[in-house]
Amino acid sequence: MATEDRIERVAEQAARESDDDESRPGLTLVAGAVAAAVVSPVAWLLLRASEVGLDQALDLMVRPTAVQVLVNSLLLVVLVTAGSVLLGVPMAVLTVRADLPFERFWTVALALPLVVPSYIGAFAYVSAFGPRGALADVLAPLGVERLPAIYGLEGTVLVLTLFVYPYVFLTTRASLLSFDESLFEAARTLGHTRREAFRRVVLPRILPGITAGALLVALYALSDFGTPAIMHFDVFTRSIYVEYTNFGRDTAALLSLQLLAVTAVILAVESRVGRDQGDYASRGSRRVRDRSLGWWTVPALAALALVAVLALGVPLGVLFMWLGRSGPAYAGGGFAFEWTYGLNSAYVSAAAALVSTLAALPVAYLAARSRSRLAALFERATYVGYAMPGIVLGLALVYLGATHVRSVYQTLPLLVFAYVVRFLPQAVGATRSSVLQVDPRLTDAARTLGQSSLGAFRRVTLPLIAPGVVAGAALVFLTTMKELPATLLLHPTGFETLVTYIWGVQEAGYYGQAALPALALVALSAVSMLLLLTQEGKDVK
Amino acid sequence: MERDERDRIGGDGRIPSDGRQRTASRRRLLGTGAALGAAALAGCLGPFDGGDGGDGGTGTGSPELDTFRGSGAQVGGRPELSGVRIDDLPPLEGSLDVYIGGGEGGLYLDLLEILQDVYPDFGVVPRQAPSAQLANTIITEVEGGGSEADLFWSIDAGSLGAVADAGATVQLPADVVENVPENFRPDRQWVGVAGRARSIPYNTEQFSADEIPDDVMALATDDRFSGGLGWAPTYGAFQAFVTAMRVLEGRETTKEWLEGILDGGVTEYANEFLVSDAAAVGETGAGFANHYYALRVKAARPSAPVDLAFTRGDAGALINASAVGVVEGTGKRELAQRLVRHLLTVEAQEFFATRTFAYPMVEDHPPVGGLPTIDELETPDLDLAKLSDVEPTLELLQEVGVL
Repeated sequence: MATEDRIERVAEQAARESDDDESRPGLTLVAGAVAAAVVSPVAWLLLRASEVGLDQALDLMVRPTAVQVLVNSLLLVVLVTAGSVLLGVPMAVLTVRADLPFERFWTVALALPLVVPSYIGAFAYVSAFGPRGALADVLAPLGVERLPAIYGLEGTVLVLTLFVYPYVFLTTRASLLSFDESLFEAARTLGHTRREAFRRVVLPRILPGITAGALLVALYALSDFGTPAIMHFDVFTRSIYVEYTNFGRDTAALLSLQLLAVTAVILAVESRVGRDQGDYASRGSRRVRDRSLGWWTVPALAALALVAVLALGVPLGVLFMWLGRSGPAYAGGGFAFEWTYGLNSAYVSAAAALVSTLAALPVAYLAARSRSRLAALFERATYVGYAMPGIVLGLALVYLGATHVRSVYQTLPLLVFAYVVRFLPQAVGATRSSVLQVDPRLTDAARTLGQSSLGAFRRVTLPLIAPGVVAGAALVFLTTMKELPATLLLHPTGFETLVTYIWGVQEAGYYGQAALPALALVALSAVSMLLLLTQEGKDVK
Repeated sequence: MERDERDRIGGDGRIPSDGRQRTASRRRLLGTGAALGAAALAGCLGPFDGGDGGDGGTGTGSPELDTFRGSGAQVGGRPELSGVRIDDLPPLEGSLDVYIGGGEGGLYLDLLEILQDVYPDFGVVPRQAPSAQLANTIITEVEGGGSEADLFWSIDAGSLGAVADAGATVQLPADVVENVPENFRPDRQWVGVAGRARSIPYNTEQFSADEIPDDVMALATDDRFSGGLGWAPTYGAFQAFVTAMRVLEGRETTKEWLEGILDGGVTEYANEFLVSDAAAVGETGAGFANHYYALRVKAARPSAPVDLAFTRGDAGALINASAVGVVEGTGKRELAQRLVRHLLTVEAQEFFATRTFAYPMVEDHPPVGGLPTIDELETPDLDLAKLSDVEPTLELLQEVGVL
C-alpha cells in the first residue's frame, strides 16, 4: 500500500542507523567482563546438578509432577504477561495521549503498585479476599456464604499481574513519550482513521517498549516465589524452594537449570518480537494531548480507579488494618523494630543501584551501538540472573563466597553483587533505550572536534542519556528494597533490613509487627518511583 | 501456698496436669483462655517484665528464675523445680556466632539477651533465617572451607540431622546432654532444648473431645471429617509428621492415608498458625498442627472455640525438638558447649516452657499447666534423626499430588 510505504519512509528518516562497524575492543572487553560476572553463579548450579546421575535426572524431569510444574510455570508466565500488557498498554496510552483529568495523579498511582513486594501483596489479598478474609466478614451478614476461590492459578495470576503490570506501563509510557507525533499526523493526512493510524504507525513504534516491559514481567513471574507460595500454586520456584527446604540440593539445582532453560526460551522469543522493529529509533518530543475522550472519560476513569484500588488500595488498606490491631497474634515479643533497618535498606539499595548503573553502561551502550552477536549475547546474559530465584542465587553465592572469596563472604560487597546479578537488566534496559535515542552523529562530531571516545561519551552521550540512566537506577533501587531470599542468605550478620525484619515477624505470625516496616518499605520505594517518573519528562532532545 | 492453690485450678474447674487428680482424658483442655492471653502477652513484653505468678522455685542466688519465666495462670502453678541451675555452671565469656532458625527465633533471642545480661562479658552475634536455609548454608559453607557459625540452633531436629549427616557438627560431651532423653540427642551430634508436640486442633462447636479419634490414621477414613480438615503440606513440621508416619507405618499405608485425606477434601494453608486459626474460626472442623499454635490463637482470642487433641503412640503424637549443635571447624568449641549447658538449665527450660509453651527437654521438668505431660502423650518410638530423611516424603507428597 502506497500510504504505508510513505509512512515507513518518514519513519526511516526519523530513525538513524547506528554505526555498527566501528570496533570497540575495550568496551567489548568490559561488557564481556560484566556479563561473565553476572552469569558466574550458574557455574555452581552446574556443579550441583552434575551430581545428579543422568538416569535420575531424566527420571526427575519426566515425572508427572515435574511436567505439571513446567506447564504451570509456563501458564503463569503467559497469563501474567498477557494480563500486564492488557492493563499496562491501554493505561499508558490513556495517561500519555488522552486529555485525562488529573493525569499526573493517575500516572503516579498506576506506577506505584510496583513498589509493593509481591509477598506482601499476596498476603494482603489472602487476608482480604480469602475464604475467611475481611471481605467475607463484611459480606457474611448480607448472606454471602462463599467467595470465589482466591487460591490457585486464577488468584496467582490476578495478584502477580496487579503488582508487575507497571513494568509494561512504564516502558510503554517511555516509548509513547518519545514518539514522533509528526508520524501520526502524516498517517492521518494520508487518510487513515485515528484507529488505523494508531495501529499502523504508533503501535509498531512502541512495540519495543511494550516487549521490553513484557520481558521484565515474564521473567519476574517466572522467578517470583512469594506469590505462588502464598496462593498455593505449584511452579518452579515453589518446587525449588521445597527441595532446598528438605536438603534436596542436587534436585533443586536441576530444577533451577530447567528454569533457566525456560528463561532462555523467553529471551529468544522476546528478541524475535521486540528487536525487528528498529528499536526506539523513532524520536521526537512533540507531544499532542488533545485526544478528547468525550463520553469515554467516565468509564476510563472508573477503570483506572478500579486498578488503582485493587493494586494499591487493597495492600495499603490491609497494612493499615494490621497496624491498628493488637493482641499477641499481631504484636509479638523479641522483635523490636528499629528505624535503622530502614536506613540499612536504603543504603544497600542505593549501593546496588549505583553499581548496577555503572555495570549497565558498557553493556547497554555496546548493545545499542553495535549489531554484533557478541554485544547481543552480553546483553542477554545479564537477564539470566533476573530469572534466577533468589534462594538459588543466594546459595550459589554462599558457596562461591565460602570457597573462593572468603574475605567478602557475609559482607556488604557480596550482598550488593547479588542484587546487581538479580536486577542489572532493569538498568541495562533503561540505559540501552536511551542510548538508542541519541544520534550517533553527535558523538562523531565530538570526536572530530578532538574529544577522545571516552571524552565524547562523557561530554555528549552521558548528559543525553542521563534520564534513562537515572530511571534504571531508580528501578534497581526499588526492586532491591523488596528483595527477600538473597538478602536473608547473604546479609552481613547483624545487618538487619526492612525485609529481613518483615520476614522475621511474619514467620512468627506477628503480622501486626510487619505493618509498620512494610509501610516504611513502600514509602521509601515510592520516593524512588517518583524520581523515576520525574525523569520521564526529560526525554532526550 | 495459697496462691499456688488458686492458680492451679483452671477456670473450667479442671485440675491441670501436675495434680494427682489427673483427668482421664489425654485430650486435656487448653486451660482458661483469658489466663492464657495474659501469659502470652506477658511473654511478649520483654525479658524483665518478670511474672506476677509463681513464687515456687525462685532461685536462691542470682539470676532470678522469674527473669526467665513468663506469667499467667499456668505459670502461677509451677511446682518447685530442681536440676542444674545457671549458678552451678562456669560463666560464659567471649563472643559466639549463632545461626538461629526462624519462627520462634525471636523468643530465643530474648533468652540469649537475658544470658548476656547475666554475663556482661558474653556476647552473641545471631543470624536468623529459616532453619532449613541455615542448614543448607552451613553445609555449603563447610564444603567451601568452613562455616561462620559456632553454634547452630535449629527449630527442628530435621535441619540439625541434615547438618550432622553432612559431618558438619562436632560431638557434645556426654555430661552436657545426660539429662535429655536419648532420642533427643542421637550420637550426641546435637541435643534438643525444647519440644513441640503434633496435635489436632479442633473446633469445639463442631466436635466434642470424645469425637476426635485416638488414632491419627483413622482421620483419613472417618466421614465426619470429610471436607472439614486443614493442613499445611509445605510446612516443615507437617513434612516431619508425614516422614514419621512413613517410618512408622510404611510408605504404602502413608500413601493411602494421604489419599484418604485428599479424597475427603482438605483445605491447604501456608502455615500451621493458619491451620489452627481456621479450626478456631470454624472454617475447618479440625486440622494438623503443632500444639503451641492453638495456644497462640487462644491467646489472641480467649473465647475462640478451639481445643487440642493428641493421638496415641503414632506419628500424630510425634514430638519434634528445637535443637542445638556445635558446628564443625569452630574455634570456640568450649564456649559453644558451655552455652549448650546453659540452654539445659532449670532457668532456660522454664523459659521455653512458660514463654513459648514448649515441652522442656530436661527430664523431670514439667510443661505448663494445661498441657499433658510427655508421658501422658504416648509419643511414638522413633529415632528423630530419621526425620531428616524428607526426600522420600516429598516424593510421596508429590506422587499423590499434595505438593
